[in-house]
Amino acid sequence: MALADFLVSLLTVVSVYTLFGLGLNIKYGFTGLVDFGHVLYFLTGAYVTVVVTLPAAATSYEGIGGFALPQLLSGVPLGGLLAWFAALAVAMVVAALLSLLVGVPTLRLREDYLAITALGIATILHTVVNDERWLFNGPFGVRDVHQPLTGAFPVSLGSFIVNLAVFGLVSVLVLAYVGYRVGGYVYGVDVRAAALSTVAAVLVVAGLGVATLGGSLVLAGVVVVAVGVAVLARSIRQADGYGQPVALFTALVFAAWYFGTPLVTTGPSGTLASAVWLFDPTAGANGGITYGRFVLLVSAAFVGISYWWCERTVNSPYGRVLRSIREDEDVPEALGKETFRYKVQSMMFGSALAAAAGGLWATHIAFIDPTQFTANITFFAFTAVIIGGAANNRGVVVGTFVFWTLHTGTRFLNDYFPTEYATQLAALRVMLIGALLMVILYYRSEGLLGEQTYDTGVAADGGGHSE
Amino acid sequence: MSDPILEVEGLEKFFGGITALDGATFDVDPGITGLIGPNGAGKSTAFDCITGFLDPDGGSVRFRGEDISGERPSAIANRGVVRTFQIPHELPEMTVRENLALAPREQSGEALVASWTRSDDYYTDERRAQERAVEMAERFEIDHVIDTPAGELSGGQRKLLELARALLTEPDLVLLDEPLAGVNPTLEEKILDHIQALAAEGYSFLFIEHDIDVIMEHCQEVIVMHQGRVLTRGEPEAVRTDERVVEAYLGGEAQ
Amino acid sequence: MVDTGLVNALAQGVVTGSIIAAGALGLSLVYSIAEVPNFAHGDMLTVGAYLALALNNPGELPFVPNAVAVPFAVAAVGGVVVAGVFGGVYEKAVFSRFRDRDADLITMVIVSLGLALFLRNLVLFLAGSANVTYETVTRVDTNVDVYATGSGVGVELTKRIGGDIATLDAWGYGWLTVLAVLAVAVAAGVAVYRWRSADTGYERVHFVSPRVLAVATTLVVGAAAAAVARGGAVSTANPLYSTRVGVSWKYGAILGVMLATMLCMNYVLKRTKTGRAMRATADDQALARVRGVDIDRVQLVVWVLAAVLAAIAGVLLGWYASNLNPNMGFNLLLPVFAAVIVGGIDSPYGAALGGLMIGLSMDVGAYLLPAEFATYRTAIAFVILVAVLLVKPEGLWGDA
Repeated sequence: MALADFLVSLLTVVSVYTLFGLGLNIKYGFTGLVDFGHVLYFLTGAYVTVVVTLPAAATSYEGIGGFALPQLLSGVPLGGLLAWFAALAVAMVVAALLSLLVGVPTLRLREDYLAITALGIATILHTVVNDERWLFNGPFGVRDVHQPLTGAFPVSLGSFIVNLAVFGLVSVLVLAYVGYRVGGYVYGVDVRAAALSTVAAVLVVAGLGVATLGGSLVLAGVVVVAVGVAVLARSIRQADGYGQPVALFTALVFAAWYFGTPLVTTGPSGTLASAVWLFDPTAGANGGITYGRFVLLVSAAFVGISYWWCERTVNSPYGRVLRSIREDEDVPEALGKETFRYKVQSMMFGSALAAAAGGLWATHIAFIDPTQFTANITFFAFTAVIIGGAANNRGVVVGTFVFWTLHTGTRFLNDYFPTEYATQLAALRVMLIGALLMVILYYRSEGLLGEQTYDTGVAADGGGHSE
Repeated sequence: MSDPILEVEGLEKFFGGITALDGATFDVDPGITGLIGPNGAGKSTAFDCITGFLDPDGGSVRFRGEDISGERPSAIANRGVVRTFQIPHELPEMTVRENLALAPREQSGEALVASWTRSDDYYTDERRAQERAVEMAERFEIDHVIDTPAGELSGGQRKLLELARALLTEPDLVLLDEPLAGVNPTLEEKILDHIQALAAEGYSFLFIEHDIDVIMEHCQEVIVMHQGRVLTRGEPEAVRTDERVVEAYLGGEAQ
Repeated sequence: MVDTGLVNALAQGVVTGSIIAAGALGLSLVYSIAEVPNFAHGDMLTVGAYLALALNNPGELPFVPNAVAVPFAVAAVGGVVVAGVFGGVYEKAVFSRFRDRDADLITMVIVSLGLALFLRNLVLFLAGSANVTYETVTRVDTNVDVYATGSGVGVELTKRIGGDIATLDAWGYGWLTVLAVLAVAVAAGVAVYRWRSADTGYERVHFVSPRVLAVATTLVVGAAAAAVARGGAVSTANPLYSTRVGVSWKYGAILGVMLATMLCMNYVLKRTKTGRAMRATADDQALARVRGVDIDRVQLVVWVLAAVLAAIAGVLLGWYASNLNPNMGFNLLLPVFAAVIVGGIDSPYGAALGGLMIGLSMDVGAYLLPAEFATYRTAIAFVILVAVLLVKPEGLWGDA
């Protein structure tokens, strides 16, 4: 599989979980609600979206629905797409209402009681979905997930050359823009630190490369990687803060992996394929944009909109009240703010976002079942949010990206061990996540980016503007 | 003679085996009223019951003639009764400016949908809140740290912030829980001056205090509590020389 | 034909309740003294269970050297001891550091979550996900059949041997005898209660409270009287009511271990200096420090004890279910938390009683519900938890 396909898939997953994390951050980062049952709304979003758009007599599905909305709207232009949006909206409303039901008895409780109760409710409802075939087909899950506009893909502009030129150009422009932003951020870093970062990147890439040759070289490779990490640590100490060296290091490693690896394995055409990531040369007769890339674009758009929406909510007097509830609930209450109402709203908004993530997830993966919605998903999201910096929307993006890249990246290592160890390697990964959580909370509880700054739209000196 | 602003009648509160309030009854008139009594007399508990942080087990509280017993603290605060805490409850991660801007009531930007749609009222109210925050910070001389996270302030600055924030809700009655505890004499003077000035502007205060001199100098009336009940009340001079009060304080310490 | 019924469910419930109570006891200590809502507690149970397994049946575990396999009882003790050491490690490596930083409640919750993920997956990593069992007696195949007939109560001890049901023993009681036994038992209990409560002053802290002692006396005297008053077999032809209760010395052992544990905990908390220090710390940590209590030592003891108690619960659970898997403790986390909150966080005995209550409700509820709802056993515990939180959030035996 071309690296571009893998990257597209990874970024789609990252987008979905970023949306999930944004919802969690509203509840936990900004309002201080420890909702250990957050995955419940992810599940709700996925299942409701799927069931609303499922054909009426879907094969081997014995649950409620399908409500066949796309069929109902088949006369309308883009009816399938509209139906999908409508289903997503319904899912978000259902999740919000569910969170209201959960919240009314639990939001007056202390944080730890809220945590255990939320976890309990999520666990029980997960058991219900898994055991009751009449609800959502139980453990067998749901196939036949409606994927809007799937028939239109792959999108081609006619000929291979034109596709390559147009889509390739767009791809390269996007990559160039990303490079420009990263470069702008890294520019001005201490020269020695930059040199050290580069050396670290080379070492890590070389180490990984050696390790993939197998046998005893695996150990040698690991040692080289470890040395590389040590050099990176040195680079951080050298520079003024860790952001720039790490960003440089990451960019170099990414470039080496994404552009360098195909160069080594398949030659320059491989590197070109990586660069024109939007264009899949193997899709259809003349290549084109695959459905997967479309889903990525849609997901990224959702993340962008939700990010803006969350920022607008948080950078306001409303957000100020939420944060005051997080800091010390007695204070806003003593000042006349009815904190219970704010907590309920926060729950509903965060859950709606999680539901949207669920709907996207279902569309991406095309088949849902209860095993995709375990309590661990919530815990991973907590880890991602904390890594990036709780109460920081940009932190959620960064943290989710870091978390899932490491999580998926280390899955590659599975290939170098006999298959019967698969479960245990997965367990090792989760062990490291647990350890990482404890370490981050101790050494850097504010995460990578710390809490964000706030601007309610009225300048501090009293000046303001209307939109 | 104006009507009492606060009427507490037969207030009772039990914690397991302990009786914190045993039928406390008192009225608070507009102006500055002191609330004194030995430790364990039930003063802070009375505050909690009046402001809704605790549900009384018996008795009633009336504010401006309306029964507010058992209401939520936010509802009571919106009626015009606000309290400060003995140990300041500053919001540590938020700046002084944000702490203060939080306080004014009826800000239209504090509704979820309003924060998205941002009408003109949103901007007007927020601008007003920010301006008042700055004004109050200047008045209490904490404007030089206005953009510092409140958790980094000194103890005295936190006390001032606590008071300033309470006042920004434009209350009718402010319940101060030991506002001068642990405060150096210069700051003490300043705080008392502020309170006097504010009283002249029409605010009423009920404050818990241990320093008899402060009570003597600043309160128009003093209420004395002991063992969950009101022992006596009256003008400071009268109360100070009251035998029962002296005995309560001595008796309380002899235990 | 005699079938298992409500009484059997009650018996199961008592055993389940004992196991949950053991878990709740440890969690309650950590909650009230260390002030950590320990989400890793379930996984500490699992660790304890697997440590015993490593000593008892190492062949079942892939990464464990097949050194010495010891009998179950020895392995159980060994596992519990090693688990206690682990408890010390948790405290020193993790919780003491956050405590020194004055971490808030939310942080402690998430830290314990991280530890939970770590421990659960450590077990999964080392032991794999296959279901394993202890190398010990497991089957429960003896039954006590009770018949209520016109002439009295008949009891039969039956066992399934080679496909047939053989009657090992049979005896009976006339109705008058039954009444006499009950009367004697209750009288003994009342007498003991009167005797012990006459001895009360404000300062007197009973080792075992008069009420508990009275109930225990009633049960013991009742059992003794029933043993003594056995009569000849009663005709069981047309019973008004009959029921079968599965019994095993396993149940008795679990109950016995539970009682012994509670008595030991009781002794530690009430009669030892460390116990008093622990109670002082639970009441008011700052005050205790001022009075000279070595808080760090107290916390260490608390975590070791909690790990030990969790391990006991884990071993008992693994033995009772004849099955261990890496999720066993986490699956019990909700009932254990429910027990602690229902019983009142500040009261270890309340937590244990809460555990008993929850265990009983779970098994009786599972019995009363139609068979397809068996997986909702845990949901019953949760419903009780929510109900108590709504009505009396400080717990049934907690202070306001």
